[in-house]
Amino acid sequence: MSIAGFFRAVLPGLVLFATLTYAQDHRASDEALVNRIKDAVIRELRKSGELDRAVDSGIGRYLERQRAEAEQRERREADARTSKLRPVSKSRDHIRGNPAAPVTLVEYSDFECPFCKAFHSTMKRLVNESNGQVNWVYRHFPLDTLHSKARKEAVASECAAELGGNDAFWKFADRFFELTPSNDRTDVDTVLPRIAREIGLDRARFASCLASGRHEQRVADDLREANATGGRGTPWSIVVSKNGKTYSLSGAQPYAAVKQLVELARGKQ
Amino acid sequence: MTRAGHLTDLGVALGRVFVHPAYVLLAGALAILTFLLAVLVPNFGLISEIFADASVPMAAKLGIALSLLGGIGTNFSLLSAGYTVAIAILFGLTVAMIAFSIRQRSIGATRRSIALGSGAMLSGVLGIGCAACGSLIMGAVVPFLGIAGAVAMLPLDGQEFGILSVALLFISLLLVSKNIAESAACALLPDGGDQGF
Repeated sequence: MSIAGFFRAVLPGLVLFATLTYAQDHRASDEALVNRIKDAVIRELRKSGELDRAVDSGIGRYLERQRAEAEQRERREADARTSKLRPVSKSRDHIRGNPAAPVTLVEYSDFECPFCKAFHSTMKRLVNESNGQVNWVYRHFPLDTLHSKARKEAVASECAAELGGNDAFWKFADRFFELTPSNDRTDVDTVLPRIAREIGLDRARFASCLASGRHEQRVADDLREANATGGRGTPWSIVVSKNGKTYSLSGAQPYAAVKQLVELARGKQ
Repeated sequence: MTRAGHLTDLGVALGRVFVHPAYVLLAGALAILTFLLAVLVPNFGLISEIFADASVPMAAKLGIALSLLGGIGTNFSLLSAGYTVAIAILFGLTVAMIAFSIRQRSIGATRRSIALGSGAMLSGVLGIGCAACGSLIMGAVVPFLGIAGAVAMLPLDGQEFGILSVALLFISLLLVSKNIAESAACALLPDGGDQGF
């Protein structure tokens, strides 16, 4: 701003201040005079462009503050969600691929969801083609309001794991998604014993495990965790890098998208 | 008015509006924007996180965002992918024609078109939300309204909202077309003369 401009902008303010002081000292409450002076000051500020510049700069600062706050809020929420993600445990979790891989993809899935069925194939391909760079952890997210059979099927998969270990769990999941049509159209009374037989489990012990309900709590825990980490639908996935950085992915996204996200996480060593 | 009359109006109106490149651009931009929003909304958090991370190369940012667009083929059923594309195109056309109508100052039926179009978009949001298992909208809004069970009982699991949205947008488009087509004609005066514009 030029010196002349500065004086043009400040002078009316000084005049107003002096006038008001004078008026107060002499108890002369001439409101009309004060208003006229105010108008003159505002007119002068407008003419010099100072008012516009001050408003522009105020709006700019406000928008910048809003943007920074939104970014911080997003980061805080992401951190909060990440903190809700239970660390992967070899003894509890079902892990496919190299357990020491630099990237882990934790999937929360529903056995009756058609998109989970499609995503299951995507994930198999990803792990098979990753050369040990990514492993896949399967957790349960049965959507009871949409798929009333999904919870029982999740419990059945846990029975498979109890009786046959990690391999049996994955054989069960692969075969289940191959055989069933999704959207709650599975005949569980036929399909579950059939898969148990096909993957070499003791059918009587499998049926007994299923009837006991002892894995229901685990499924409920997984479901609660899926919600806490931000899951609103299935499949819900969280890609975790070696240094703990996480990326949440919603839905059955294409192979190319998941692969690029895994590559991004690999870079976060 | 007959079905043929509506379609004639639609043809006349499309011809009048989209002879102007600006309206073609507006309709195209809105259709693309609507499509992008529909496909990318579930992963907005991920996209904004990646784009805000200065350590991620721009090529990787764009690569992930573009590859997520492939979700239209993997994360949508055939029906929901179809109505998502239809909603995007109809929305672009309807808004461009409403804008044309407003600029021509012929706003008679335009208000109804705007009201119908707004309802259609709300329904479309629910329809797109119902496309996946759960989804952002279903997860956040529907349980809050206490109608999750009701939506699950619908034969198409809520995809009915998407179909409704296409129907409402189409009616809205016909209304605004009628408005534009009529404003192009000369109205007959009671004494047999005609009133030019």
